[in-house]
Amino acid sequence: MSIPKYQLSSIRVLYGDTLGVAVDKLTIVAGGLHVVVGSNGSGKSTLLGVLAFLNKPEHGEISFDGVPVEWESGKYSLLRKRVTLLHQNPYMFSGTVAANVAFGLVARNIGKKDTRSVVRESLERVGLPGFEPRNAKRLSGGETRRVALARALACNSEVLLLDEPLAHVDRTSATLLENLVATLASGGITIVMSSHDERWGARLGGKVIHLEDGKLDPAAGQSLYNEFSRCHGRDNANS
Amino acid sequence: MGFVESLRMALALILAGDRDVVSAITTSLDVAIWSIVFASLVGVPVGIAVALGNFPLKSVIRVMLNSLMAMPTVVIGLLVYGLLSRQGPLGSLGLLFTPKAIIIGQAILATPIIANYTLGAVQGADERILPTARTLGANYLQCIFQLGREVRFGIVAAIIAGFGRVISEVGVAMMLGGNIRLYTRTMTTAIALETSKGDFAFGLALGVILIVISLAVNVFLTVAQEGRHA
Repeated sequence: MSIPKYQLSSIRVLYGDTLGVAVDKLTIVAGGLHVVVGSNGSGKSTLLGVLAFLNKPEHGEISFDGVPVEWESGKYSLLRKRVTLLHQNPYMFSGTVAANVAFGLVARNIGKKDTRSVVRESLERVGLPGFEPRNAKRLSGGETRRVALARALACNSEVLLLDEPLAHVDRTSATLLENLVATLASGGITIVMSSHDERWGARLGGKVIHLEDGKLDPAAGQSLYNEFSRCHGRDNANS
Repeated sequence: MGFVESLRMALALILAGDRDVVSAITTSLDVAIWSIVFASLVGVPVGIAVALGNFPLKSVIRVMLNSLMAMPTVVIGLLVYGLLSRQGPLGSLGLLFTPKAIIIGQAILATPIIANYTLGAVQGADERILPTARTLGANYLQCIFQLGREVRFGIVAAIIAGFGRVISEVGVAMMLGGNIRLYTRTMTTAIALETSKGDFAFGLALGVILIVISLAVNVFLTVAQEGRHA
C-alpha cells in the first residue's frame, strides 16, 4: 500500500475569531487529480494554502509523504520546493515573462542553460511560445494566468495546487488547461485544484473533496463520487 | 551690491572654479554620499524588518521612527558632539571636527527617514508578492530580495529623500565639522558663514549650486517614478 501524499488530522485554521477551515480527517493519495469543490468562502483557498505550506494551521497535524510536518522548526519551508500553488489571482513579478517563469528554477539553483530550455518548454505547454521577452506586467488577464501556470509547471513539483484555475478564462484556455491537467495527473503528479463548479469537478474525473463553511461534506463528496463512477466507470480514490 | 550684481559675481565664481566654492561642493557631496550609504545600509533593512515583523514593540518603534524624522539637526549634532568630544566616550578616536564626524551625524539624521519611507513602500507593496515567491520555492532571503526588487522605486525614493535632508542641513555639519575652511566646510555652512560676513555673492554662488543639486535629485526621482509605471 502506497504512502499517502497528504494526511490531515484535526486541522483548524482561524482568521481571528472566524473559522477558515476545520478538517477532521483528509487523505490525499499520491498521483492523480483531486478537486476541492465548494461555494465562495467555503475555505477552498485556505485549504490549498495549508497544503502549500503557506498557511500554518492553529491546530492539528499534517503528514507529507508519511512524515509529520514540523511547523515550529521552520523545516516545513523546504517542503515548498516540492509543492507549488497557482493562486487564483496570480501575481507577476516585474520584469520579463522569462524571468517570471524562471523564478522557481533560480530558487532551486538550476543552471542558466537548463533554465532557458525549461522556460521555453513551459511556455510552449501553456500555448505561449515566444513570450519570453515580453513585459510580464503588460499581459492580458488570460495571458497572465497562463504564464503563472507555466511558472508553476517549470518548478516540476511533486504536487501542483491550482486555485480556481478555470475562473474567468476563455474556452481555449479552459480546454488547454483541462488537457494539461489530465496529462500531468496521468504522469504521476499529484494535482489538487479548487472549483466552485461541482459538475466541472466531476467531469475531469478527479476525486472530489466537498467543502462547505470550512468543513468537509462527506455526503456531498460521496454523491459526486457515485455520480462520476456511474458515468465514467473510473476508479476514484477514497477519502 | 544689488541682487543681480551678486548673482553675476556668483556665476563668475562658479565658472572660474573658485577654490573655496569647489571645496565646499566636494566636501558636501562627499559627506552626504557616505552618510547616505551608511544610513541606507541600516535604514532599508530596518524599514523592511519593521514592515514585515510581528513583534510586541512594533508600534513603539514606528512612533520612534516617526519622531526621529522630525529630530532637529542641532540636537543630533549636540548628542554626537557629546560622544565625540574629548570628554565623551568616543573622544579618544579624535573624530570631532573632521568630515567623518559629519558623516556620523548625517547618517543618524538620514537613517529614520530612509527606514520610514522603506517601511511605507513595503507596507504598500502588493500582498501577493511574498506568497508567490514562497510557493515557487524561494527561501527567506530570496523572498526578501524579491520583495525589495518589487518595491525598489520606493526604496530609491527613500534614499533620495534622505539625501535631500543631509545635503541641505546645517546644524550637524556646523557642530560636528566646525566649518573649517577647505576641510569640513560644506555648502550650507559656507553659505551661513559668508552671508553673515557680508559676502553675499559667495553665499549665492553656493546657493545656486545647492538648488541645482536638489533639482537634479528631484529629476532623478521623477524619472525613477516614471520608470516604475512604464
